[in-house]
Amino acid sequence: MRGVLLTIMTIGLLGVIFAQNTSYQQDPKWQVPADAAGKLNPLAQKPEATAGGKKLFQRNCVECHGATGAGVEKKHAADLQLSAVQQQSDGALYWKITNGNTDRGMPSFSRLPELQRWQLVLYLRTLKPTSDVQSNASVK
Amino acid sequence: MNRYFIFFLLILLGSGQRSSAQESPYFVTYDHHLEEPGNLEIETFSTMGIPRSGQHFYAAPYMEFEYGVTGRWTSELYLEAQGTAGDSTVFTGWRLENRFRPLKREHFLNPVLYVEYEHISEASRIQKEIVGGGPDVTSPNSELHPIKAHELETKLILSSTVHDWNIAGNFIVEKNLSESEGFEFGYAFGFARPLASLASGSECRLCRENFIAGLEFYGGLGSTEDGFSVHNTAHYVAPVVSWQLSDNGSFHFSPGFALTHEGSPVLIRFGYSYELRGFGSKVAQLLGGKH
Repeated sequence: MRGVLLTIMTIGLLGVIFAQNTSYQQDPKWQVPADAAGKLNPLAQKPEATAGGKKLFQRNCVECHGATGAGVEKKHAADLQLSAVQQQSDGALYWKITNGNTDRGMPSFSRLPELQRWQLVLYLRTLKPTSDVQSNASVK
Repeated sequence: MNRYFIFFLLILLGSGQRSSAQESPYFVTYDHHLEEPGNLEIETFSTMGIPRSGQHFYAAPYMEFEYGVTGRWTSELYLEAQGTAGDSTVFTGWRLENRFRPLKREHFLNPVLYVEYEHISEASRIQKEIVGGGPDVTSPNSELHPIKAHELETKLILSSTVHDWNIAGNFIVEKNLSESEGFEFGYAFGFARPLASLASGSECRLCRENFIAGLEFYGGLGSTEDGFSVHNTAHYVAPVVSWQLSDNGSFHFSPGFALTHEGSPVLIRFGYSYELRGFGSKVAQLLGGKH
Protein backbone atom coordinates (compact mmCIF):
# COMPACT_ATOMS: atom_id res chain seq x y z
CA MET A 1 0.00 0.00 0.00
CA ARG A 2 2.84 2.33 0.92
CA GLY A 3 4.62 1.48 -2.32
CA VAL A 4 1.51 2.29 -4.36
CA LEU A 5 1.15 5.64 -2.61
CA LEU A 6 4.83 6.39 -3.17
CA THR A 7 4.50 5.53 -6.87
CA ILE A 8 1.43 7.74 -7.23
CA MET A 9 3.18 10.61 -5.46
CA THR A 10 6.29 10.19 -7.63
CA ILE A 11 4.21 10.14 -10.81
CA GLY A 12 2.29 13.19 -9.58
CA LEU A 13 5.51 15.05 -8.79
CA LEU A 14 7.01 14.13 -12.15
CA GLY A 15 3.80 15.28 -13.80
CA VAL A 16 4.07 18.65 -12.11
CA ILE A 17 7.75 18.97 -13.01
CA PHE A 18 7.24 18.05 -16.64
CA ALA A 19 4.12 20.19 -16.91
CA GLN A 20 6.08 23.22 -15.73
CA ASN A 21 6.83 25.73 -18.36
CA THR A 22 10.58 25.79 -18.16
CA SER A 23 10.86 26.87 -21.79
CA TYR A 24 8.92 30.07 -21.41
CA GLN A 25 10.43 33.06 -23.14
CA GLN A 26 9.73 36.57 -21.99
CA ASP A 27 7.94 38.86 -24.41
CA PRO A 28 10.28 41.87 -24.65
CA LYS A 29 7.40 44.01 -25.97
CA TRP A 30 5.38 43.54 -22.78
CA GLN A 31 6.77 46.46 -20.87
CA VAL A 32 5.05 47.99 -17.87
CA PRO A 33 4.93 51.83 -17.84
CA ALA A 34 6.94 53.27 -14.97
CA ASP A 35 3.99 55.01 -13.30
CA ALA A 36 1.98 51.75 -13.32
CA ALA A 37 4.90 49.76 -11.93
CA GLY A 38 5.17 52.21 -9.04
CA LYS A 39 1.59 51.72 -7.82
CA LEU A 40 1.26 50.29 -4.33
CA ASN A 41 -1.13 47.51 -3.42
CA PRO A 42 -3.96 49.09 -1.38
CA LEU A 43 -4.49 45.69 0.29
CA ALA A 44 -0.87 45.28 1.33
CA GLN A 45 -1.84 45.74 4.99
CA LYS A 46 -4.80 43.36 4.69
CA PRO A 47 -3.36 39.84 4.47
CA GLU A 48 -6.82 38.43 5.21
CA ALA A 49 -7.76 39.40 1.63
CA THR A 50 -5.30 36.78 0.32
CA ALA A 51 -7.87 34.01 0.73
CA GLY A 52 -10.14 35.78 -1.75
CA GLY A 53 -7.13 36.13 -4.05
CA LYS A 54 -6.58 32.40 -3.90
CA LYS A 55 -10.18 31.78 -4.90
CA LEU A 56 -9.85 34.21 -7.80
CA PHE A 57 -6.59 32.56 -8.86
CA GLN A 58 -8.26 29.16 -8.91
CA ARG A 59 -11.13 30.52 -10.99
CA ASN A 60 -9.18 32.62 -13.43
CA CYS A 61 -5.55 31.56 -13.63
CA VAL A 62 -5.22 27.82 -12.94
CA GLU A 63 -6.16 26.85 -16.50
CA CYS A 64 -2.89 28.29 -17.85
CA HIS A 65 -0.62 28.82 -14.83
CA GLY A 66 -1.50 25.60 -13.02
CA ALA A 67 -2.63 25.09 -9.43
CA THR A 68 0.83 25.87 -8.08
CA GLY A 69 1.42 28.75 -10.49
CA ALA A 70 4.23 26.82 -12.16
CA GLY A 71 2.80 27.47 -15.63
CA VAL A 72 1.40 24.91 -18.03
CA GLU A 73 3.91 24.40 -20.81
CA LYS A 74 1.41 23.62 -23.54
CA LYS A 75 -0.31 26.91 -22.74
CA HIS A 76 3.04 28.73 -23.00
CA ALA A 77 2.21 30.31 -19.64
CA ALA A 78 4.84 31.69 -17.29
CA ASP A 79 6.03 30.03 -14.10
CA LEU A 80 4.79 32.53 -11.53
CA GLN A 81 7.03 31.04 -8.85
CA LEU A 82 10.22 32.20 -10.55
CA SER A 83 12.10 34.93 -8.77
CA ALA A 84 12.10 36.90 -12.04
CA VAL A 85 8.34 37.15 -11.59
CA GLN A 86 8.34 37.55 -7.82
CA GLN A 87 10.87 40.39 -8.06
CA GLN A 88 8.46 42.47 -10.11
CA SER A 89 6.62 45.19 -8.21
CA ASP A 90 2.99 44.83 -7.13
CA GLY A 91 2.11 47.58 -9.57
CA ALA A 92 3.76 45.73 -12.47
CA LEU A 93 1.87 42.51 -11.71
CA TYR A 94 -1.39 44.45 -11.35
CA TRP A 95 -0.79 46.14 -14.72
CA LYS A 96 -0.10 42.80 -16.40
CA ILE A 97 -3.26 41.24 -14.94
CA THR A 98 -5.28 44.28 -16.02
CA ASN A 99 -3.99 44.59 -19.57
CA GLY A 100 -3.09 41.04 -20.44
CA ASN A 101 -0.86 40.26 -23.40
CA THR A 102 -3.40 39.23 -25.99
CA ASP A 103 -0.87 38.48 -28.70
CA ARG A 104 0.67 35.83 -26.45
CA GLY A 105 -2.61 34.38 -25.18
CA MET A 106 -2.81 36.16 -21.81
CA PRO A 107 -6.28 37.74 -21.60
CA SER A 108 -7.05 41.04 -19.95
CA PHE A 109 -8.76 40.73 -16.57
CA SER A 110 -9.98 44.30 -16.45
CA ARG A 111 -13.47 42.83 -16.08
CA LEU A 112 -12.59 42.00 -12.48
CA PRO A 113 -13.04 44.84 -9.98
CA GLU A 114 -9.83 46.70 -9.13
CA LEU A 115 -9.59 45.33 -5.61
CA GLN A 116 -10.00 41.76 -6.85
CA ARG A 117 -7.04 42.26 -9.19
CA TRP A 118 -5.02 43.50 -6.20
CA GLN A 119 -6.18 40.40 -4.30
CA LEU A 120 -4.68 38.32 -7.08
CA VAL A 121 -1.38 40.15 -6.64
CA LEU A 122 -1.53 39.40 -2.90
CA TYR A 123 -2.00 35.72 -3.64
CA LEU A 124 0.78 35.63 -6.27
CA ARG A 125 3.16 36.71 -3.50
CA THR A 126 2.34 33.55 -1.56
CA LEU A 127 3.41 31.22 -4.37
CA LYS A 128 6.49 29.35 -3.29
CA PRO A 129 9.44 30.91 -5.10
CA THR A 130 11.82 28.65 -6.96
CA SER A 131 15.23 29.37 -8.41
CA ASP A 132 15.06 30.60 -11.98
CA VAL A 133 15.34 27.95 -14.62
CA GLN A 134 15.74 30.80 -17.05
CA SER A 135 16.83 34.17 -15.90
CA ASN A 136 14.62 35.98 -18.37
CA ALA A 137 11.29 34.39 -17.51
CA SER A 138 8.42 36.69 -16.77
CA VAL A 139 4.67 36.76 -16.33
CA LYS A 140 3.03 35.98 -19.62
CA MET B 1 -24.31 10.70 -36.36
CA ASN B 2 -24.00 9.00 -32.96
CA ARG B 3 -20.20 9.12 -33.19
CA TYR B 4 -20.28 12.86 -33.68
CA PHE B 5 -22.67 13.25 -30.76
CA ILE B 6 -20.39 11.24 -28.44
CA PHE B 7 -17.36 13.19 -29.71
CA PHE B 8 -19.06 16.49 -28.91
CA LEU B 9 -20.25 15.20 -25.51
CA LEU B 10 -16.71 14.14 -24.59
CA ILE B 11 -15.43 17.60 -25.41
CA LEU B 12 -18.16 19.20 -23.32
CA LEU B 13 -17.50 16.93 -20.35
CA GLY B 14 -13.76 17.35 -20.67
CA SER B 15 -14.15 21.11 -20.72
CA GLY B 16 -16.17 21.41 -17.56
CA GLN B 17 -13.49 23.14 -15.56
CA ARG B 18 -13.45 26.15 -13.34
CA SER B 19 -14.13 29.32 -15.15
CA SER B 20 -14.25 32.95 -14.20
CA ALA B 21 -17.51 33.81 -15.95
CA GLN B 22 -17.95 37.38 -14.52
CA GLU B 23 -20.27 37.86 -17.44
CA SER B 24 -21.48 41.20 -18.60
CA PRO B 25 -25.08 41.64 -17.44
CA TYR B 26 -26.18 43.48 -20.60
CA PHE B 27 -28.55 41.94 -23.10
CA VAL B 28 -28.28 44.54 -25.85
CA THR B 29 -25.23 46.70 -25.07
CA TYR B 30 -21.77 45.32 -25.80
CA ASP B 31 -18.72 46.24 -23.78
CA HIS B 32 -15.06 45.79 -24.73
CA HIS B 33 -14.54 42.47 -22.97
CA LEU B 34 -14.20 39.63 -25.43
CA GLU B 35 -14.31 35.89 -24.89
CA GLU B 36 -11.05 34.40 -23.65
CA PRO B 37 -9.13 32.70 -26.46
CA GLY B 38 -10.07 29.04 -26.88
CA ASN B 39 -13.15 29.28 -24.64
CA LEU B 40 -16.64 28.49 -25.87
CA GLU B 41 -19.62 30.02 -24.18
CA ILE B 42 -23.03 28.50 -24.78
CA GLU B 43 -25.91 30.80 -23.96
CA THR B 44 -29.62 30.30 -24.08
CA PHE B 45 -31.75 33.43 -23.83
CA SER B 46 -35.34 34.50 -24.37
CA THR B 47 -37.05 37.78 -25.11
CA MET B 48 -40.71 37.90 -24.15
CA GLY B 49 -42.98 40.70 -25.28
CA ILE B 50 -45.84 41.75 -23.03
CA PRO B 51 -48.56 42.96 -25.40
CA ARG B 52 -50.42 46.22 -25.55
CA SER B 53 -53.89 46.48 -27.10
CA GLY B 54 -53.96 44.84 -30.52
CA GLN B 55 -50.81 42.82 -29.92
CA HIS B 56 -50.22 39.25 -28.78
CA PHE B 57 -47.82 37.87 -26.20
CA TYR B 58 -44.72 36.38 -27.82
CA ALA B 59 -41.57 34.59 -26.73
CA ALA B 60 -38.42 34.64 -28.84
CA PRO B 61 -35.76 32.17 -27.62
CA TYR B 62 -32.27 32.15 -29.05
CA MET B 63 -29.00 30.31 -28.56
CA GLU B 64 -25.56 31.79 -28.80
CA PHE B 65 -22.28 29.97 -29.32
CA GLU B 66 -19.52 32.43 -28.53
CA TYR B 67 -15.93 31.46 -29.21
CA GLY B 68 -12.72 33.33 -28.45
CA VAL B 69 -10.72 32.92 -31.66
CA THR B 70 -7.86 35.06 -30.37
CA GLY B 71 -7.44 37.51 -27.53
CA ARG B 72 -8.77 40.26 -29.78
CA TRP B 73 -11.30 38.42 -31.93
CA THR B 74 -14.53 36.79 -30.78
CA SER B 75 -16.91 35.01 -33.13
CA GLU B 76 -20.50 34.13 -32.33
CA LEU B 77 -23.26 32.07 -33.96
CA TYR B 78 -26.91 32.69 -33.12
CA LEU B 79 -29.91 30.46 -33.76
CA GLU B 80 -33.27 32.04 -33.09
CA ALA B 81 -36.99 31.28 -33.06
CA GLN B 82 -40.25 32.94 -32.13
CA GLY B 83 -43.66 31.83 -30.90
CA THR B 84 -46.71 34.07 -30.66
CA ALA B 85 -49.82 33.29 -28.60
CA GLY B 86 -52.75 32.46 -30.86
CA ASP B 87 -50.40 32.31 -33.83
CA SER B 88 -47.53 29.96 -34.72
CA THR B 89 -43.97 29.09 -33.73
CA VAL B 90 -41.29 29.63 -36.34
CA PHE B 91 -37.53 29.30 -36.70
CA THR B 92 -36.54 32.82 -37.59
CA GLY B 93 -32.97 32.26 -38.74
CA TRP B 94 -29.31 32.62 -37.80
CA ARG B 95 -26.68 35.27 -37.34
CA LEU B 96 -22.90 35.20 -37.48
CA GLU B 97 -21.22 37.91 -35.49
CA ASN B 98 -17.59 38.95 -35.16
CA ARG B 99 -16.05 41.42 -32.76
CA PHE B 100 -12.56 42.81 -33.11
CA ARG B 101 -10.61 44.79 -30.61
CA PRO B 102 -8.10 46.95 -32.50
CA LEU B 103 -6.11 48.21 -29.50
CA LYS B 104 -3.93 45.89 -27.49
CA ARG B 105 -4.00 47.53 -24.08
CA GLU B 106 -6.68 48.91 -21.79
CA HIS B 107 -7.39 52.57 -22.44
CA PHE B 108 -9.82 55.06 -20.99
CA LEU B 109 -12.04 54.44 -24.01
CA ASN B 110 -11.76 51.01 -25.61
CA PRO B 111 -13.14 50.64 -29.13
CA VAL B 112 -14.43 47.35 -30.54
CA LEU B 113 -15.54 46.85 -34.14
CA TYR B 114 -18.55 44.63 -34.69
CA VAL B 115 -19.68 43.04 -37.96
CA GLU B 116 -22.65 40.68 -38.22
CA TYR B 117 -24.36 38.89 -41.07
CA GLU B 118 -28.00 38.00 -40.45
CA HIS B 119 -30.05 35.48 -42.38
CA ILE B 120 -33.40 35.98 -40.68
CA SER B 121 -37.07 36.41 -41.43
CA GLU B 122 -39.11 39.51 -40.68
CA ALA B 123 -40.77 37.50 -37.88
CA SER B 124 -37.56 37.79 -35.80
CA ARG B 125 -38.32 39.29 -32.39
CA ILE B 126 -35.28 38.53 -30.24
CA GLN B 127 -34.44 42.25 -30.42
CA LYS B 128 -30.74 41.85 -29.73
CA GLU B 129 -30.66 45.33 -31.15
CA ILE B 130 -33.34 47.78 -32.18
CA VAL B 131 -32.80 49.69 -35.40
CA GLY B 132 -35.01 51.91 -37.52
CA GLY B 133 -38.51 51.82 -36.11
CA GLY B 134 -38.04 48.47 -34.36
CA PRO B 135 -39.56 45.09 -35.29
CA ASP B 136 -43.15 44.56 -36.40
CA VAL B 137 -44.78 42.93 -33.35
CA THR B 138 -48.35 43.28 -34.62
CA SER B 139 -48.54 41.44 -37.97
CA PRO B 140 -49.09 37.66 -37.91
CA ASN B 141 -46.28 35.20 -38.56
CA SER B 142 -47.98 34.04 -41.75
CA GLU B 143 -47.31 37.49 -43.21
CA LEU B 144 -43.88 38.13 -41.70
CA HIS B 145 -42.14 34.77 -41.83
CA PRO B 146 -42.07 34.35 -45.63
CA ILE B 147 -40.19 37.64 -45.94
CA LYS B 148 -36.51 36.74 -45.65
CA ALA B 149 -33.83 39.28 -44.95
CA HIS B 150 -30.10 39.15 -45.55
CA GLU B 151 -28.77 41.90 -43.38
CA LEU B 152 -25.38 43.31 -42.61
CA GLU B 153 -25.05 44.98 -39.26
CA THR B 154 -22.10 46.95 -37.97
CA LYS B 155 -21.53 48.51 -34.58
CA LEU B 156 -19.00 50.83 -33.11
CA ILE B 157 -18.61 49.77 -29.48
CA LEU B 158 -16.97 52.18 -27.07
CA SER B 159 -16.46 50.97 -23.54
CA SER B 160 -14.72 52.22 -20.47
CA THR B 161 -13.87 50.91 -17.02
CA VAL B 162 -14.07 53.60 -14.37
CA HIS B 163 -13.12 52.10 -11.03
CA ASP B 164 -15.52 49.16 -10.83
CA TRP B 165 -18.06 50.60 -13.23
CA ASN B 166 -18.34 49.57 -16.83
CA ILE B 167 -19.78 52.22 -19.10
CA ALA B 168 -20.48 51.25 -22.69
CA GLY B 169 -22.13 52.81 -25.71
CA ASN B 170 -22.89 51.27 -29.10
CA PHE B 171 -23.80 52.98 -32.37
CA ILE B 172 -25.51 50.59 -34.79
CA VAL B 173 -25.84 50.74 -38.58
CA GLU B 174 -27.80 48.03 -40.37
CA LYS B 175 -28.36 47.41 -44.08
CA ASN B 176 -30.92 45.01 -45.44
CA LEU B 177 -29.22 43.52 -48.48
CA SER B 178 -32.50 41.99 -49.71
CA GLU B 179 -34.57 45.17 -49.86
CA SER B 180 -34.00 48.75 -50.82
CA GLU B 181 -34.57 50.12 -47.34
CA GLY B 182 -31.56 52.37 -47.03
CA PHE B 183 -29.53 52.23 -43.83
CA GLU B 184 -31.17 51.84 -40.42
CA PHE B 185 -29.66 53.16 -37.23
CA GLY B 186 -29.85 52.35 -33.56
CA TYR B 187 -28.08 52.80 -30.25
CA ALA B 188 -27.45 51.08 -26.96
CA PHE B 189 -25.93 52.51 -23.81
CA GLY B 190 -25.36 50.86 -20.48
CA PHE B 191 -23.53 50.98 -17.20
CA ALA B 192 -23.03 48.26 -14.60
CA ARG B 193 -20.88 47.24 -11.66
CA PRO B 194 -20.44 44.26 -9.34
CA LEU B 195 -22.22 44.57 -6.00
CA ALA B 196 -18.98 43.90 -4.11
CA SER B 197 -15.40 44.81 -4.92
CA LEU B 198 -13.57 42.32 -2.74
CA ALA B 199 -13.78 38.55 -3.19
CA SER B 200 -14.51 36.62 -0.03
CA GLY B 201 -12.28 33.73 0.90
CA SER B 202 -15.06 31.16 0.93
CA GLU B 203 -17.04 29.59 -1.86
CA CYS B 204 -20.47 31.19 -1.78
CA ARG B 205 -23.20 31.64 -4.32
CA LEU B 206 -25.31 34.31 -2.68
CA CYS B 207 -22.41 36.65 -1.90
CA ARG B 208 -22.69 40.13 -3.34
CA GLU B 209 -19.51 39.59 -5.36
CA ASN B 210 -21.44 37.14 -7.57
CA PHE B 211 -23.95 39.77 -8.71
CA ILE B 212 -23.48 42.48 -11.30
CA ALA B 213 -26.25 45.04 -11.70
CA GLY B 214 -26.78 47.97 -14.01
CA LEU B 215 -29.03 49.78 -16.40
CA GLU B 216 -29.20 49.88 -20.16
CA PHE B 217 -30.99 52.03 -22.71
CA TYR B 218 -31.57 51.02 -26.31
CA GLY B 219 -33.66 52.02 -29.27
CA GLY B 220 -33.94 52.88 -32.94
CA LEU B 221 -32.69 56.04 -34.60
CA GLY B 222 -34.67 55.80 -37.83
CA SER B 223 -33.17 55.26 -41.25
CA THR B 224 -31.88 57.12 -44.28
CA GLU B 225 -35.34 56.60 -45.80
CA ASP B 226 -37.06 58.61 -43.07
CA GLY B 227 -34.35 61.15 -42.49
CA PHE B 228 -32.52 59.72 -39.50
CA SER B 229 -35.38 60.60 -37.15
CA VAL B 230 -36.52 59.14 -33.83
CA HIS B 231 -40.15 59.65 -34.87
CA ASN B 232 -42.07 56.33 -34.61
CA THR B 233 -39.14 54.48 -33.07
CA ALA B 234 -39.03 52.20 -30.04
CA HIS B 235 -36.87 53.05 -27.02
CA TYR B 236 -36.41 51.10 -23.80
CA VAL B 237 -34.88 51.52 -20.39
CA ALA B 238 -33.93 48.23 -18.77
CA PRO B 239 -32.40 47.34 -15.39
CA VAL B 240 -30.03 44.38 -15.82
CA VAL B 241 -28.65 41.86 -13.37
CA SER B 242 -26.43 38.81 -13.71
CA TRP B 243 -25.81 36.21 -11.04
CA GLN B 244 -22.88 33.85 -11.18
CA LEU B 245 -24.56 30.62 -10.16
CA SER B 246 -21.52 28.39 -10.48
CA ASP B 247 -17.92 28.64 -11.58
CA ASN B 248 -19.07 28.05 -15.15
CA GLY B 249 -22.58 29.37 -15.34
CA SER B 250 -24.47 32.58 -14.83
CA PHE B 251 -28.08 33.66 -14.94
CA HIS B 252 -29.18 36.95 -16.49
CA PHE B 253 -32.40 38.89 -16.13
CA SER B 254 -33.69 42.19 -17.43
CA PRO B 255 -37.15 43.76 -17.64
CA GLY B 256 -37.22 46.47 -20.32
CA PHE B 257 -39.79 49.26 -20.21
CA ALA B 258 -40.84 51.14 -23.32
CA LEU B 259 -40.31 54.89 -23.32
CA THR B 260 -42.46 55.39 -26.45
CA HIS B 261 -45.65 53.87 -27.83
CA GLU B 262 -43.85 51.77 -30.45
CA GLY B 263 -43.15 48.05 -30.02
CA SER B 264 -44.04 46.04 -26.94
CA PRO B 265 -44.63 48.02 -23.72
CA VAL B 266 -42.49 45.59 -21.67
CA LEU B 267 -39.73 43.22 -22.76
CA ILE B 268 -38.78 40.50 -20.30
CA ARG B 269 -35.36 39.06 -21.03
CA PHE B 270 -33.66 36.21 -19.24
CA GLY B 271 -31.10 33.54 -19.96
CA TYR B 272 -28.34 31.26 -18.79
CA SER B 273 -24.78 31.10 -20.06
CA TYR B 274 -22.25 28.33 -19.55
CA GLU B 275 -18.57 28.66 -20.33
CA LEU B 276 -16.41 25.79 -21.58
CA ARG B 277 -12.82 26.67 -20.80
CA GLY B 278 -10.11 25.40 -23.13
CA PHE B 279 -12.65 24.13 -25.65
CA GLY B 280 -10.47 24.96 -28.66
CA SER B 281 -7.38 23.15 -27.39
CA LYS B 282 -9.42 20.09 -26.42
CA VAL B 283 -10.90 19.88 -29.91
CA ALA B 284 -7.41 20.28 -31.36
CA GLN B 285 -6.10 17.50 -29.08
CA LEU B 286 -8.88 15.13 -30.10
CA LEU B 287 -8.19 15.86 -33.74
CA GLY B 288 -4.48 15.23 -33.20
CA GLY B 289 -3.41 18.86 -33.28
CA LYS B 290 -0.49 20.41 -31.44
CA HIS B 291 -2.39 22.31 -28.69
